[in-house]
Amino acid sequence: MSANTRDAAPLLRVEGLRKHFALTKGILFAKTLGHIKAVDDVSFDIRAGETLGLVGESGCGKTTTSRMILNLEDPTEGRILLDGEPIHGLRGEALSAYRARVQAVFQDPWSSLNPRMKVGRTIAESLIVNASRNRGRGDRAQIDARVRELLLQVGLRPEQAQQYPHEFSGGQRQRVALAAALASRPKLIVLDEPVSALDVSIRAQMMNLLKDIQAQDDVAYLLVAHDLATVRHMADHTVVMYLGKIVEQAPTASLFDDVRHPYTKALFSAVLVAWPGQAAEEIELRGEVPSPLDPPSGCRFHTRCPYVMPHCSQREPALREVSPGHFVACHLFE
Amino acid sequence: MTPDTSGETVLEVRDLHTHFFLRRGVVKAVDGVSFSLRRGEVLGLVGESGCGKSLTALSLMRLLPKGGARTIKGEVRLGGRNILECTPAEMREIRGRRISMVLQDPQTSLNPVFTIGDQLREAIVRRRRASGVPVMEEAVAALRRVEIAAPEQRIGQYPHQMSGGMKQRVVGAIAISGEPGVLIADEPTTALDVTIQLQYLKLLKRLQAETGMAILFITHDFGVVGRMCDRVAVMYAGRIVECGPVQRIFEAPQHPYTRALIASVPKMTGSVGRLATIEGQPPSLMDLPVGCRFASRCAHVEQRCLDAYPGTVRVGEEHTADCWKVMPS
Repeated sequence: MSANTRDAAPLLRVEGLRKHFALTKGILFAKTLGHIKAVDDVSFDIRAGETLGLVGESGCGKTTTSRMILNLEDPTEGRILLDGEPIHGLRGEALSAYRARVQAVFQDPWSSLNPRMKVGRTIAESLIVNASRNRGRGDRAQIDARVRELLLQVGLRPEQAQQYPHEFSGGQRQRVALAAALASRPKLIVLDEPVSALDVSIRAQMMNLLKDIQAQDDVAYLLVAHDLATVRHMADHTVVMYLGKIVEQAPTASLFDDVRHPYTKALFSAVLVAWPGQAAEEIELRGEVPSPLDPPSGCRFHTRCPYVMPHCSQREPALREVSPGHFVACHLFE
Repeated sequence: MTPDTSGETVLEVRDLHTHFFLRRGVVKAVDGVSFSLRRGEVLGLVGESGCGKSLTALSLMRLLPKGGARTIKGEVRLGGRNILECTPAEMREIRGRRISMVLQDPQTSLNPVFTIGDQLREAIVRRRRASGVPVMEEAVAALRRVEIAAPEQRIGQYPHQMSGGMKQRVVGAIAISGEPGVLIADEPTTALDVTIQLQYLKLLKRLQAETGMAILFITHDFGVVGRMCDRVAVMYAGRIVECGPVQRIFEAPQHPYTRALIASVPKMTGSVGRLATIEGQPPSLMDLPVGCRFASRCAHVEQRCLDAYPGTVRVGEEHTADCWKVMPS
């Protein structure tokens, strides 16, 4: 766990996290056919007010990791600590207090809001829940004032609280979802592909807004994304995952200046550089991501790696520090 | 890459208008679109959702959605013939053989209850010109052409047994099985992972080099445009506002909308400061302004922009823009 020797105590610490889903056949006398190792020994820290980018292709375990951080899924092994306290096993009061501190904004603004609820009510919901937890009933005027404040904060007009989700555009709905997430003054917001469903020009607005809010409220973000340019603009640290494992982890600036792992390199060359003729080293990966049910032995990337060596299929590479704060799991750097 | 200007024009679209006639009013989704496509070239059609790029493609295929959409004006010349005048029976002959289409989601393009082989065979039998080679062999060859490993086994499989990238290759194999001169690709890689997207784009390029087909590539991603296209047309509120060679559009965009759009894309190099944004919303397609459609969001708006639509101005070699500012005074 040397990967996280950063000075200040982290807001959120993920330690040796594993999540294995059993694949079964039959209903009554279910037979376990194997385990899908969706997340396999993942560790990282998120500090207060910082953005951590989590990058990888579908099936790499980034969504499962974020679901465990949201306490929607229990890990098979390992633990997650918020301010030094383990988060799994929380019940009742403590669990709702956790939910108030860790919020989420999901990809699809069309499905994350209740179409039959005025957006003001959606935003107020967590305030009402919190108020009833603390003092029995919430003060209505106070809640209304907070909803107005939140709408202004995300760049909407206070009177729009009276509208229904269908009256908003995609970008505006994502702002409403963000306002609802901010209502309980969380310490951490999991942003699961927050801009990928939005149009290009709206994306930039949303990204600027997220940065402004972070600067005002000192909230930390876990940004789950597949678009490297988005991560570059948003994240302070970046973690790259492949088939449930971290393959590279570094401060974003250092990662983008000095890509080490062959998989990360391939991801970078797959990013279609918007300027014709700008792409430098290009790695086109052959084949597809192997099944997590039966991941390749040794380094999980060896079946697609252009630099594969004989021992790659036998030994699994450990994450090691190649330059300050920059960790790579690859036999090329041993 | 400089576009090969010598290639013959295979598709010419002139002043295309496709509107939705609804009870509430007329939605002018495609409102005066003109462009041409040469043999062996890739023309990118970019724009944000609702700008009319997909409906333009469907108008070319004459596959308009049910519910009031009609092409009311314009010409679509495919090899010298206006296909808007063809009968439905003639269109069935044209689709697949002369012009073909790949859609965004391979899951919905393939029929889940038939094997890949059945679906390929159907396309091959229908579009067959010469017989002789057994259909099955031809289907295997078609799969091999789109670089599917072990095609003999894959041919008996159902779509759910394949990954998204592989399904999109099968859709591609079906689309090009009739050797069309024009392929319309409507966001074909949006549903794919980035490394798979790269594979697919390279495959399309290779197939194009082999067959010399022209591709109309619809996307909202400037990265894809930079990698794939020779020329690019930018659409806004039902019209093409700028069209030119990719290099020129990236380096010296002339229309304020193109400039703003390119500036708002996060880059992989350079500073990571605030991104430029475009304030406001596109105009309602039911109530379009008389003047320039971008005027309400444009930083350089003047009175004449509000009074009349600027018209298409030539601003360079193969490069046009619809803007008063670029008009020679």
